[in-house]
Amino acid sequence: MQVPLPTLLTLTAVALLLSTFGVVVRRGFAGWLSAYRYQSVILAGSAAVIAYETGFWEIYVAAVLTLVVKAVIIPRLLVRVTESVRDEFKIEANPFVSIRLSLLISALLVALSYGLIRETLSSASLGVFAVAYLPVSLSLFFIGLFVMVSRRMALNQVVGLLVIENGLFLFTTALTQGVSLIIEVGILADILVGVMISALLLLRMSQTFDSFDIASLENLKDD
Amino acid sequence: MTGTLEVVVVGAMQLVAVFALAPLLTGIMRKVKARTQKRIGASVLQPYYELSKLWAKDEVVSDHASWIFRSTPWIVAIATITAALFIPVFVPFSPFTSAGDVLLVIGLLALARFFTMLAGIDTGSAFGGIGTSREMMMSSLIEPGLFLTIFVVSLTLGGTDLTSLVGAAAAKFGVVIAPSMLFGLIAFFIIILAETGRLPFDNPATHLELTMVHEAMVLEYSGRSLALIEWSQAAKQLILLGLLANLFLPLGMPTSSAAGLLPLGLGSLAALAKVVLLSAIVAYAETRVAKWRVFRVADLLTVAIASAMVGMIFFYLQ
Repeated sequence: MQVPLPTLLTLTAVALLLSTFGVVVRRGFAGWLSAYRYQSVILAGSAAVIAYETGFWEIYVAAVLTLVVKAVIIPRLLVRVTESVRDEFKIEANPFVSIRLSLLISALLVALSYGLIRETLSSASLGVFAVAYLPVSLSLFFIGLFVMVSRRMALNQVVGLLVIENGLFLFTTALTQGVSLIIEVGILADILVGVMISALLLLRMSQTFDSFDIASLENLKDD
Repeated sequence: MTGTLEVVVVGAMQLVAVFALAPLLTGIMRKVKARTQKRIGASVLQPYYELSKLWAKDEVVSDHASWIFRSTPWIVAIATITAALFIPVFVPFSPFTSAGDVLLVIGLLALARFFTMLAGIDTGSAFGGIGTSREMMMSSLIEPGLFLTIFVVSLTLGGTDLTSLVGAAAAKFGVVIAPSMLFGLIAFFIIILAETGRLPFDNPATHLELTMVHEAMVLEYSGRSLALIEWSQAAKQLILLGLLANLFLPLGMPTSSAAGLLPLGLGSLAALAKVVLLSAIVAYAETRVAKWRVFRVADLLTVAIASAMVGMIFFYLQ
C-alpha cells in the first residue's frame, strides 16, 4: 500500500511532538531517556523519508548516524556514567514549574512555533518538508529550552539540550535538505563529546556537592 | 432505510444489542487480561452469570440511606440507556439525532456520574467518601479534556450532531488522518480509560482496597441495584469504545442510513469487530501498567487536555 507523502509527514511530525511531550511529562531519568530514544528513532525515520523523496544519499548516512549515535550510544553512555549516582537524584521531585503546567505550556509553545512559522515564512516559497517539519523543529527547540530552564535536576538540563539538538537537526534537514555530510558528522561528534563532558561534570557534581539541584548552585556566590 | 419508523426501529435494535453485548465485552476484556497474565481466566460469559445472580438476590439497604441511594441505580441505568439511543455504535446514524447531539450525551453521562457520587456519600460510609472525592477530582479534569476532544472532532468533521459526524468520518474512508484528529484520538483514548475506570486510573478488578475509586462509591450496593450499576457501566464502556471506533477508525462503516441493508449489516459487523479489538488493546495495555498514585493520575489527564489543545491548534493552523 502506497502511503501518500503528506500523510507520512503528518504522522512523523505528530509522533515527534508526542515524544517531546513524553520528555516533558516523565519524572525520572529513565523515562526521559526512553522518550528521547523514541524521538531520535522517529527523527532518523523522518530524515530517511526526506532522503527517499529527494534522493540525496548523504541524508541516508545522516539518518543512520542519527539512529546509531542518538538512539543507542548517547542513552547508553548517559546510563553508564550515572550508574553510581543515587536514585533520588534521578527524579525531578520539585521542579520550578509543575509538570502539569509545563505540559500545558509546551502545548502553547507548539502553538507559538506554528504561528511564528506561518507569520514569518510564506508557505509558497518553502518545500513540502519545510512546511511539515519547520514548526515541529521550532517547537522541539522551544520545549527543550523550556525543560532546561524550568527544572531543578541537572540531568534534565542535559536531556533538554539533546532535545534542542534534535530540533536543530530537523531544522537543517527539512529546510536545506541537509548540510554537507562532513558538517553533519562534525555536529554529531560534537554532541557526543558534549554529552560525555556534561555527564562527567554531573558525576563530579554528585560526588562533590552530593546534589544535582541546580538551585543550590546560587549559594556558591560570594556575597 | 430512509423512513423515520425504520430508523427508530433500527435504533431500538441497536440499543438492545448494546445492552445485550456489553457484559460479553467485559468478559472478553477480563479473558484477554487473564491470558496475558498467563492465567486461564473465567469464561467470557461470566459477567452474564454474575448479573443474573445479582438480579435474583435480595438487596440490603442501610437504614441511613435516603431516596438518593435507592434511586441512583435507576437514574444511572436510564441515563445510560438514553445516551445509547443518541450514539451511533453499530449503525452510522443515531435514531434521535434531531433531539440531541454529542453534548447531550456528555451531559447524560455526567448526570449518571453525579448521582453515583451522591450515592457514594449518601450512606456516610468512609469508603464511599474516599471514592467520591477521588472521582470528583478526576472528573473535574476529565470533563475539560472530553469537551476539548469533542470540539476538535466537531471542528474537523463539522457539526456536533453525531449522525453527520460519523457520516463525515465514514466518508473519508478507512482511517481519518488529519493531525488534529490524531491528537484528538490520543486524548479520547486516555479519557475513555479514565471514564470507564481502567488502569492506571482505577483498578476494575479490586474490591475492598484503599486505591479503588469507582468500586468504593458503589460498595454499599447489593443485589439488583448493583446489577443495574454494573450493567450500565459495561454498556457505557461499549458505547464509548464504539464512538471511538466510529469517529476515528471508520473503516467499513457506510456513510449514511440510505446505504441499504447489506452494507449496514456489514458495517455493524465491522463496528463490532473494531470494538472487540479495541477492548483487547485496552485489556492488554492494562497488564503493562500498575495503578498510579491518585495525584499522578492528574498528569495523564493533563496529557489528554494538552493533546486535545494541540489538536485544536493543528486545526486552526492547517
